[in-house]
Amino acid sequence: MSIFLLDSIVVMFFVETVLLLLMGTSMFAVAKILKYWNFDASTTLQYALEKKNYLVNTIILFTIGVKIILFVFFVKSLDDLAPLVPGAMCATGVIGANKFGNTLLIYKIFTLFLLGVWVVINRLDLKTKKFDYLRKKYYLFIVIFALLGIEFALELLYFTNIPLNTPVFCCSVVFVVENLPFGLETVDLVKIFYLLFVSILVVDYFNKASLSFVLNILFLLLAYYCVTYFFGTYVYEEPNHKCPFCMLQKEYHYIGYLIWSTLFLGTYFGISPHIIYSLIGKKYQRLLRYNALFLTLFVAICSYYVISFYLRNGVFL
Amino acid sequence: MKPKIAIEHLYKIYNEGKESEFAALKDITLSVGADEIIILKGVSGSGKSTLLSLMAAFSKPSRGTILIDGENISKLPDIFASKFRNKEIGFIFQSFNLIEGLSVSENVRIPLVLEPLEKKEIDQKVEKALQLANIAHKSQQNIADLSGGEKQRCAIARALVNNPSIIFADEPTANLDKENSLKFIEVLEKFKTLKKCVVVATHDSLFDDLPFVSQYINITDGELVL
Ligand SMILES: Nc1ncnc2c1ncn2[C@@H]1O[C@H](COP(=O)(O)OP(=O)(O)O)[C@@H](O)[C@H]1O
Ligand SMILES: [Mg+2]
Repeated sequence: MSIFLLDSIVVMFFVETVLLLLMGTSMFAVAKILKYWNFDASTTLQYALEKKNYLVNTIILFTIGVKIILFVFFVKSLDDLAPLVPGAMCATGVIGANKFGNTLLIYKIFTLFLLGVWVVINRLDLKTKKFDYLRKKYYLFIVIFALLGIEFALELLYFTNIPLNTPVFCCSVVFVVENLPFGLETVDLVKIFYLLFVSILVVDYFNKASLSFVLNILFLLLAYYCVTYFFGTYVYEEPNHKCPFCMLQKEYHYIGYLIWSTLFLGTYFGISPHIIYSLIGKKYQRLLRYNALFLTLFVAICSYYVISFYLRNGVFL
Repeated sequence: MKPKIAIEHLYKIYNEGKESEFAALKDITLSVGADEIIILKGVSGSGKSTLLSLMAAFSKPSRGTILIDGENISKLPDIFASKFRNKEIGFIFQSFNLIEGLSVSENVRIPLVLEPLEKKEIDQKVEKALQLANIAHKSQQNIADLSGGEKQRCAIARALVNNPSIIFADEPTANLDKENSLKFIEVLEKFKTLKKCVVVATHDSLFDDLPFVSQYINITDGELVL
């Protein structure tokens, strides 16, 4: 397939290119700042670098903002591609159309998490009077920039390799076999899901960042399976409809966007305090509050579908 | 007692490293007490405005330190410098820098827009500043319709509205006739009773030998003359 098949994909690549160029040019400034930065110096050079620092900050924050919006756009494009890819009924078929799709999706979520961490470190840096975290923040950004370059390549590979003549598998095939972790049953999985959720709330209450980090990663994984194999069936009201993507469609009131975004935001706030502490040695447990908030929202939405179904029909699926 | 402002070995070199390099301030050391009024005297081009703009953290020195309440303000990141300026400093510019098209009270209100205050509180502060600067009777008038002396009083009210501990005035009487200049000197005396730290840069001889001024400092070619 060519990227010119769908306008939205062309636009996405165009914006991605502009962002990379913007970040690429900021890299020169970042390199200069890292090389010559000396906060204690009262030199014209140092003051010029301080000014430059604000400019680069603003550019990077802008690119990050656009990246976040682009991710939603990316998921939407997958959905829009479904009618064009033979055999695909929803994004499942599109994302599974070649070996790059799933890697790309996970990779994108991972880089978004990192970008979020960068935003927080930047905020903390701007709150200090001596630019305490400036170096670390820019070293991290160099890593992120490299990762985003790889993402761009992966994205190109993915979109140009979607076959248009051989049919792909749709979600009814891909998720039919319950490929659950540790060979668990769905019921057990859901029990652990709720147990883990409550533990996270407790851990958040006691501000334990490293424990929250571990539990949130587990929860993210588990939540993926629970939504796909359990909660999703209640969204679709179909015991055999197992799919993480169909819920993004209009038929289901786009509820998938809310479900997945509350999960990602929630886990992001749960794992970042520990990462931030390991990177710059600063405790920022305040984020754990948002961890609790968004995960509660997420769990509430998921549970709502189950309870509402039970109340209306008197049985579970 | 610790000085309010302590300047040590301060240099400002414009266009450093270029052919047009120019040292506007050279090795300035001085200190100002918390309730002192000092007059910075010097001919045009001697470096008075440059020194005031460094003290108000509008620009950064090439070398040396400026401590205000013990904090090195020239090393403050821009965000902190703006906050510091808004909280601690009132600046009266030579050309007033008022916004034409807005009324007197709207101009005076500007430094407060970012403060988390109730409208009533803001109104009170504005009213108080207008009273102090003797311009309350013109509060609804447009800036464009004011005389030079009135504009300045409006600028003074704006400088006072945040209740700053320090007031800088750059050539405050350069655009005024003698009568209005004398009125400004009265205001200066009022600052003394308000226990403000005041630095006035001027070459106007009306400021000579004022009893409430604690120091006269002469500056020539960017250097203090003792
Ligand atoms: N931004 C600038 N770039 C280069 N030279 C400057 C700049 N600002 C002021 N100067 C020079 O520095 C000297 C001092 O200026 P200034 O501080 O404005 O003096 P004053 O206020 O005493 O008249 C003058 O010779 C002026 O030309
Ligand atoms: Mg001047």
